[in-house]
Amino acid sequence: MNSERSTIIRKKDLSLWERMYIPEIVKGMKLTIRQMFAPTFTTQYPDERFQPPASFRGRPVLVEENGVERCVACGLCSRVCPALAIEVQAGETELGKERYPEKFEINMIRCIFCGFCEEVCPEEAIIMSQEYELAFTKPQDALFGKDKLVVPIEKVQTRLNFLRANR
Amino acid sequence: MSEIVTTPPTSSTGRTLRTEEMILNMGPQHPATHGVLRLELVVDGEIVVDVIPHIGYLHRCFEKHCEHMTNYQQVIPYTDRMDYVASMTNEFGFVVAAERLLKIQVPERVEYIRVIMAELQRIASHLIAIGTYGIDIGAFTPFLYCFRDREKILDLFEMTCGARLLYNYMWVGGLSHDIPPDFIPKAKEFCAYFKPNIKELNDLLTYNEIFVKRTANVGVLPADVAINYGCSGPMLRGSGVDWDLRRDDPYSIYNKFAWDVCVGKGEMGTVGDCWDRHIVRAREMEQSIRIIEQALEQIPEGNVQAALPKRIRPNPGEVYARIESPRGELGYYIVSDGSATPYRIKARSPAFSNLSVINEISKGAMIADMVAIAGSIDIVLGEVDR
Ligand code: SF4
Ligand code: SF4
Repeated sequence: MNSERSTIIRKKDLSLWERMYIPEIVKGMKLTIRQMFAPTFTTQYPDERFQPPASFRGRPVLVEENGVERCVACGLCSRVCPALAIEVQAGETELGKERYPEKFEINMIRCIFCGFCEEVCPEEAIIMSQEYELAFTKPQDALFGKDKLVVPIEKVQTRLNFLRANR
Repeated sequence: MSEIVTTPPTSSTGRTLRTEEMILNMGPQHPATHGVLRLELVVDGEIVVDVIPHIGYLHRCFEKHCEHMTNYQQVIPYTDRMDYVASMTNEFGFVVAAERLLKIQVPERVEYIRVIMAELQRIASHLIAIGTYGIDIGAFTPFLYCFRDREKILDLFEMTCGARLLYNYMWVGGLSHDIPPDFIPKAKEFCAYFKPNIKELNDLLTYNEIFVKRTANVGVLPADVAINYGCSGPMLRGSGVDWDLRRDDPYSIYNKFAWDVCVGKGEMGTVGDCWDRHIVRAREMEQSIRIIEQALEQIPEGNVQAALPKRIRPNPGEVYARIESPRGELGYYIVSDGSATPYRIKARSPAFSNLSVINEISKGAMIADMVAIAGSIDIVLGEVDR
């Protein structure tokens, strides 16, 4: 600090009145008091919930249509995932799509909500939902299997509409 | 202002007492270090003799990870996580580098949207810097108003790309998707709303006598030292060096807008003190608003995904591209071996170089001033450690 390249200018010592900084504090308090009568800009969280817009990227889910998930277990999403969060194992089925995911697991501790899986999926089978409340007490709870991932199509319709309009 | 006692203390019997320097650890859990930074202070009483920063608590192997991606696009979410309060500019730097390597030209509309996003991000980042700096000095109130305004910017980002902090919005060759139709009116509304708030913030904090007393003449960084240590951004401009990559090494379309580079002039004390660094950030927000307003007026129509390459396979070669992030010169050095995976990526992070100067500027300061000095550097440890 006291290097030769710079000189320190010290103003003279303050008087007692100046040292109390009363005008400065009054100036700050004026804004605070004005703000007390302005509308609040906070949300009372558990009582009032935040409604995400359609563009929001919440946890990824698998879309279920007519009782079966759309996924054909092509494995593209697990290949594109930068965090290596997805594990897919394919099985054969009698249905028209021929292949289905026998096991589909997303490790929600690893997932970084980037949305690449949704972007790459050829069947619109994996979708970023609007759910954002994801807290676990045990790491095992964070392994979301098909039981937690598959959701009916009605629940993600807003996101599907958004993707149609923007892709 | 007490004088420094030079005579050695004596005991009641008149014997000379031995004194020695003490080592004091500031951090990694210290609230004023803005993340997990440990500063080892060697103190002589109340005077700081030496400062040794210990970093690396947030190291996540960014560069090594990139070598193991299956393509270039996958690197982008990782760049987001370097400087997590200015993710948009991190992506911006990477896509500019990758596009130079691929030699692709992105559509005009994409450039405009990128500039708007980057400048909004600069405001958001400076708001955090200013707000938390207020807390360091002991002014809690401005922080809340800063966060109120930052929230409005995050809302704009959220309606565009779906995330509030880590966007993954700018892709190599374009954007993940276009801005929604109501973005432009909302962004204009924000600019009109925010301009008076900058003045309010300056009245509340910048020109507050208490704040000035704590920051003026503290942590003086002379211009030649700043240059020698590779400081950039508001750190360098605060020392009176007129250098901004947006003007001096133009990338994207910054040369289309009229705006000024803000430099510290030592209005409250010495050129290059903490107050100068603070005022540069406050004034840069005004300039960012100017850029955004011009860009919103001129933005052309077009398809933002037209130039997205199907497969990104650059020819063997290397490139270094740098942009002006809110903290300074953010550079990416990419080496390609012709495959779809980057061979090597090196990130030059501004906060790392800025932090290295802390020892130089805090020698001889009081311990209480250390907090003011460390805060004025505006480090983000995610970027220092990567
Ligand atoms: S979710 Fe989509 S991308 Fe992933 S395996 Fe199923 S069909 Fe393929
Ligand atoms: S959102 Fe990203 S990180 Fe999460 S599962 Fe999909 S691709 Fe992987």
